[in-house]
Amino acid sequence: MGETVGNLIGLNDEVIHPAATLAVEAHNSPSKQFLVKKIKIRHDLSSVVVLAFSGSMLPEDWFGQPPFGETEIDTGKFPSLTSLNDGGDAVVNGSFLRRFNDVLDKLSHAKELKAAIEKKKQVVFAGYSSGGPIAILATLYFLENQTLSPRCLTFGSPLVGDRIFGHALRREGWSDYFTHFVMKYDIIPRIMLSPSSTEHKQILNYFKSKFDKKNINPAPPSGFYHTVMGNASSVASYEACHLMGCRNPSLDIIKSFIKLSPYRPSGTYVFCTGNGNLVVVKNPNAVLQILIHCAELGESNTAEVEKRSLDEHSAYLSELKECLGMQAVVSLDGGPATATLNDLGLSPQAMLCLQAAEEFENRRSRNLEKIRKYLEKIEVELQMLRKYKENAQISRLGYYDSFKLQNEDDDFHANVSRLELAGIWDEIKEMLKEFELPDDFENKPEIIDLGTEYRRLVEPLDIANFYRHSKDKETGAYVIGGGPRPKRYRFIQRWLEHREKKPFGSRSESLFWAGVEQLGIDIKKKKNLQEIKDRIRQLERNMIAWIDVDKSLDKDVLLEKTTFVKWWRDLPRECNSESERIEKLIGEKAAGV
Amino acid sequence: MKRRRMNQVPLFSSAGELANMLVTSNLIEAAWAKIPELQRGQSALPSSVQTMVDHPTPNSTIVVFAPSPDSTQYPHPQGGDLVPYPDFDFLGTKECPSVSINRAALTLFESLKNHLSGLKTELNKKEGQLIITGHSLGGSIASLFTLYLLNSMGKERKCRPICITFGSPLIGNFGLQHSHWNSFFLHLVSDKDPLPTLFLPSGRSAPTSSHSQATAYKPFGTYLLCSELGCACFDDPDLILKVLTVAASEVAGGLLQVVDYGEVLRNLKNRAICKGPQLAGERFAYPFSDGIVMELKTIGIDAAKHNIDTTRMEAEARTLAKKTKASDAKELNDIKKYMVMLEWYKKKSNEANKCYYDCFKNGDFQRDVRIEEFMGQLTTYWEDMVAQAERKPQEEGASFRTAWFQSATTFRRMVEPLDIAIFYRDGGRDYINNGRSPLYKLLEKLYEEAAKKPTREGPDSKNKVSVLLTDDSCFWAHVEDAILSCQSLNHANSTPEQRESSWKNMVEFGEYVTKQIENFSVSPEIFLEQSSFMKWWRMYEASIDASGNFYTSPLVNFMKSHKYDDYGLPEEA
Repeated sequence: MGETVGNLIGLNDEVIHPAATLAVEAHNSPSKQFLVKKIKIRHDLSSVVVLAFSGSMLPEDWFGQPPFGETEIDTGKFPSLTSLNDGGDAVVNGSFLRRFNDVLDKLSHAKELKAAIEKKKQVVFAGYSSGGPIAILATLYFLENQTLSPRCLTFGSPLVGDRIFGHALRREGWSDYFTHFVMKYDIIPRIMLSPSSTEHKQILNYFKSKFDKKNINPAPPSGFYHTVMGNASSVASYEACHLMGCRNPSLDIIKSFIKLSPYRPSGTYVFCTGNGNLVVVKNPNAVLQILIHCAELGESNTAEVEKRSLDEHSAYLSELKECLGMQAVVSLDGGPATATLNDLGLSPQAMLCLQAAEEFENRRSRNLEKIRKYLEKIEVELQMLRKYKENAQISRLGYYDSFKLQNEDDDFHANVSRLELAGIWDEIKEMLKEFELPDDFENKPEIIDLGTEYRRLVEPLDIANFYRHSKDKETGAYVIGGGPRPKRYRFIQRWLEHREKKPFGSRSESLFWAGVEQLGIDIKKKKNLQEIKDRIRQLERNMIAWIDVDKSLDKDVLLEKTTFVKWWRDLPRECNSESERIEKLIGEKAAGV
Repeated sequence: MKRRRMNQVPLFSSAGELANMLVTSNLIEAAWAKIPELQRGQSALPSSVQTMVDHPTPNSTIVVFAPSPDSTQYPHPQGGDLVPYPDFDFLGTKECPSVSINRAALTLFESLKNHLSGLKTELNKKEGQLIITGHSLGGSIASLFTLYLLNSMGKERKCRPICITFGSPLIGNFGLQHSHWNSFFLHLVSDKDPLPTLFLPSGRSAPTSSHSQATAYKPFGTYLLCSELGCACFDDPDLILKVLTVAASEVAGGLLQVVDYGEVLRNLKNRAICKGPQLAGERFAYPFSDGIVMELKTIGIDAAKHNIDTTRMEAEARTLAKKTKASDAKELNDIKKYMVMLEWYKKKSNEANKCYYDCFKNGDFQRDVRIEEFMGQLTTYWEDMVAQAERKPQEEGASFRTAWFQSATTFRRMVEPLDIAIFYRDGGRDYINNGRSPLYKLLEKLYEEAAKKPTREGPDSKNKVSVLLTDDSCFWAHVEDAILSCQSLNHANSTPEQRESSWKNMVEFGEYVTKQIENFSVSPEIFLEQSSFMKWWRMYEASIDASGNFYTSPLVNFMKSHKYDDYGLPEEA
């Protein structure tokens, strides 16, 4: 203990309350899209620029297409918000995304923002209630653009994105920049876990009349609590089943009959327990469980809790004032702290869920340890294959063709290494698909580098094996979307493309041999000549770029006895586009330059 | 009970969470919704169970079965015996080959068969979601009908089915634990409902002294067990049976009351968002067993009092948790690796002008030690696959086997010769009758069954022979037996009868080999100079020459004229 909220979320404590005040003010100023304020930090005389966004309680600004109004995010604006292993792009609330897009133009021209960037001041995007999602998306937008490194503070914000959204944030290392304050019973942070309904409209209408100040004491709706919390509880239980490693095969069948909300929490959550204490939670699975379980009905009756779930949405300023003054803060990460959980009033079942959430993280760390042990083995096998490749140059055949022939002992050993490595990388691939490794695994430089070397060195052997056994006759060409190419290579290629911010499919140098083989087959089949010519020219251009520019393709493909050189020399001249350059490269290789 | 070792990772029981997810979703409500309506309505069928089909949305179908309003609510407890029902033997497994069904349910099902067969045809065309639901005996019919439907749909199902029953009695002696079908069944049972336990030993029949009295009934699917306080989902048949038996003994004394499952669901839904009894928040040292004990308590079962073995359940969960998609991916690549190693061994042997069979038998290479290790790994893997198939119902087991049977055949052809080598090296005789493992017998039987089907392509191309393995994985056993016969033929002490029988064996073996050669189903490696087969041939040739008669046969001609030199070579164009 002894930590302050500011320490835990990496922001000066003096910023939080003024930011909240500005956020509430902005929310209730619909005529302005955002408000800006400079906040001076007393002890070091620096200052922080806070931008807070306005809100809207109109139902269409919350839910588009029922039931959940979700839409795939625009990866043009948000290129990182996607899965690198077949999980698809992140899904966000379409109405919130639209509102962000509406404000973006004005935001990027805001002079206060430009000044802050120039003076390298800390920028905080803040939002209260429906201003929260805009603050979240704005922060992400600038993180993607790398123009500045903003922080995000929200108060009573609804959920914005799905599991992939949160996964991508954690993969990029951005998760810690987002802090969400949530009151114990506030209904709004839970509302997106339930499909749009008349109850939702009632809640929004209630707040609308309250914020518009036309009606100081609007009649609160009733009966919504069971609907919202029942659906939210379904989501929490579904996720708990996964955390607990549910082995009941009916789970998948049942899930296919039930439409659950796609939205999940991401970033750091700070729960206000209602008695001045704050609980800081970073584990996203634990956040979801607390979000639902701490608002469950206890001893008090439904009507009371229902009223509280509305009242607390308007109580952030006073509650934060008290909490920030007391600084009675605990961090949940590293294990549930019993005393605080009593403040949150969690049931034994909820405790089990939290323990399972914690254990899930432990499991991911253990899996990472397991993979780390594999790395040595990968290195040993790669070293063997590097030598194999080197030796295969002596015969002027190259390792691709040598492997394809499988005549020598070395070829056999290389095949065993290939299978050994395939086993390891397939295991990694499956773990990633099931989220069984830490979220930042695919962004670790040493993993991407090792994977890339593996892909460039070993994928040619998989291609050789594929065409040696004429597997194209059973499955079609090696490279067709979702075709026989092992997924492990596709994933690893994506990691590199993502790091280099290159389009999907642009780093396909390890597919060089598949292109050559397939062209050879298609020429024999006398397929469309024009199309073949185009493909040959493309292959030549790619090849030269890979060899000359980024050196991602080794020159051993130019050895005179290789499938490539023999095939290329037999081509009718009119097919070539870069014949001189390639001829020169072949000559250089032959001369040992 | 608490024996978790420190180095073991904690496990959890998700029985409560799964149940919570179910009752807070509207799936079960949707399944229940039509039942009271059907129960109150007019009887359309002259039967004690009524049925209707509805389409709540264009892309979903619901089939409802409920007891007729005019039928007596409960079947007679005497209807509780199990009757063999061969029509459902497609559910049979190795453990339970013949299927028996509860008499009351079966009688009803048979009486509705005409109607149901029409319904089956109609539903087979449907796409989207399909919910099949029923109350009490209607639920039994719903279950039987779902099984009947699943069997007719085969592997290519157009729709996604689920069967949800409310307060239905157990229906048969078959388990579905190892079948994919198990996941399609969801049974709601209230602890106040006497019907599900009607046919259990301690049900309404006179209470017996022992609760552990064996019952032939086996629950299948997932049970959503409910009480006033809450609910939990279990799919462990032993535990379900135990819970039902306990409930049976407790309900037995009370009055028979009709349970309104609509009301049960409403209560559970409210319960789901209540915190329940609060304890001082403490970490659970044994989350799995502590969780199960809590879950059982919620449904009114005292785990300690009723001797519920959570240690066994945890051990089983632990075994299951070890098997993941990631570990499967690793294993599959290892299996490929071992096969590559053996292929290489064969290749190296051939390069030394030997058969891999003989090399292994004589221990010619240093790496032979590891060969036995690979054989062991591969054998364990395939034994496991076969065992998995055997635990599944017949049809499903068959389609599971189809997926891997090609690889299994390659395994048998590659590895069995090595087992034969060990057998004869250690002085065995007549491998086929004395030494062959059940695994090989079974794999060969599968191959023969599959080969009968016209779609399968035989290895008919002569050009492929050189890379092929010998089709008959017992080829070398025949060779070894022929060598032994030949020795006995040439042995000075052999009686004329022994000689005659040996000669007969020789002729038979010759015919067998001829047939293999004609079909191009032996690998050309058998003709390598130092192979056991050639050893046999030289012995045989010598004894023919020695006997002075000019015995001839197609094989003798083939061998004497060295035609085998061209065997397996590509034909000249």
